[in-house]
Amino acid sequence: MYREDPPALELRGLTKRYDDGTLALEDFDLKIPSGAFFGLLGPNGAGKTTLISAVCNLLRITDGEVLVFGEPHDSMEARSWVGLAEQDINLDRFLTVKETLEYHGGYFGMSDPDSRADELIEAFGLQAKRDVRAPKLSGGQRRRLLLARALMHNPRLVILDEPTAGVDFELRMDLWRYIRQLHSEGTTILLTTHYLEEAEELCEEIALIRGGHLIARDSADGLREHFGVTKLSDVYVKAMAS
Amino acid sequence: MTGLVWLCRRETLRVSKLWTQTVLAPVVSSMLFILVFGLSLSGRVEHVGDVDYEVFIVPGLITMGMVQAAFANNASTIFQARFDRYVNDVLSAPMRPWQVNLGFSVGGIVRALAIGISLLVLAVVLVDVPIERPFELALAIALGLVLFASLGLVVGIYAETWDHTSFIQNIVILPLTFVGGVFYSVEVLPSPWEELSHFNPVFYLVNAVRFGFLGESDVSVWLSLGVTAALAIPAYAWAQHLFTTGKRLKS
Repeated sequence: MYREDPPALELRGLTKRYDDGTLALEDFDLKIPSGAFFGLLGPNGAGKTTLISAVCNLLRITDGEVLVFGEPHDSMEARSWVGLAEQDINLDRFLTVKETLEYHGGYFGMSDPDSRADELIEAFGLQAKRDVRAPKLSGGQRRRLLLARALMHNPRLVILDEPTAGVDFELRMDLWRYIRQLHSEGTTILLTTHYLEEAEELCEEIALIRGGHLIARDSADGLREHFGVTKLSDVYVKAMAS
Repeated sequence: MTGLVWLCRRETLRVSKLWTQTVLAPVVSSMLFILVFGLSLSGRVEHVGDVDYEVFIVPGLITMGMVQAAFANNASTIFQARFDRYVNDVLSAPMRPWQVNLGFSVGGIVRALAIGISLLVLAVVLVDVPIERPFELALAIALGLVLFASLGLVVGIYAETWDHTSFIQNIVILPLTFVGGVFYSVEVLPSPWEELSHFNPVFYLVNAVRFGFLGESDVSVWLSLGVTAALAIPAYAWAQHLFTTGKRLKS
């Protein structure tokens, strides 16, 4: 019997109004298929981080529904399926690199996270910093650790909020390589970025959002065709001006 | 339950990594109180009731050291986690709100117990303090720690700056502890100070602990335990409410 997989992420009428009255998302609908590499583009204040925070139970939603692989986002199951690398570095200052990964794994239900932590330390080139506490790492090392932490519990949906913001070219290429490999292994990726070339290079599908609303959604080629332009940057300018 | 175990481990690790600040310093300062007040004043104030003065002050000093540590630890751990935003790692994890509340409470309780046990051992050696009523003592300490560990979390969740947590510690908890009968029996106070002391919640906790050690106190131990429980339960419920609703933790 044919049974369609539930989408990796489904937002139904998601609305978020902050306590100061700011309407960050309004009646927002979005479906991201399982296994997709999905990009979210928009200017500062468009609602990208609000959307991600809503999915990861980091804010109180005003209205609407969020489903992760068909389960309510606040269920224990859905929480264990999502890995998040936030835009800002938010590492626990008391923990070393190894402990950061182990404790994260523990919070997410791994009873013996030791070998997985070692595996990620090696994959992200952090062997020499294994016993160093987060505040003593360089910016690039912290960014790697943030991504490793998001992957620690083998999530089915990985959310990356501007993972390459402020990093040098070499590290950006490294991170792209990790993310691509992850996607090739079947993980669904939701990426927000300010870098249009990054979205074009990595994402199969891109959504443009502005003022808490979805403006357009298609592949990079589809968006170019829809807006009648040849460059994604022109798509962005036109979409944000409309 | 795995998440809860790891959060408890993390909070305990934080206490142990900073042990000179979290355990050693409060033990040394409490011991100085015992030595300076107990041994110097014991020449002038020989007995309080039937008890030697240096023995009389030990239960109050142990209480003071423990509740301040439980409060300060939990206020700082949750405030730091909010300030550096690594609390998001816990809030997004598959843990239930009661597990998060309990996990964040554990550090303050472990720290307070480490201080209390260290002080007890030193006090037994130095002034031969007895433990007359161990059951009442354990109950009083458990209720006191729930109260102050929970208050620490609540203050750490509401605080906007480090100053807010230290303000409550220095302007509210420390004075209430000092006038809560740690160094004297309130029976020796003139009116209305004796009556006013009965409005101080720390007075009841100090007396419950003192009863556990010495078998005597200024008020009934059951009244003391009842008042402490009547404060500890809503304090824990308040912290639980904040973790359940996400108020002040989630925007």
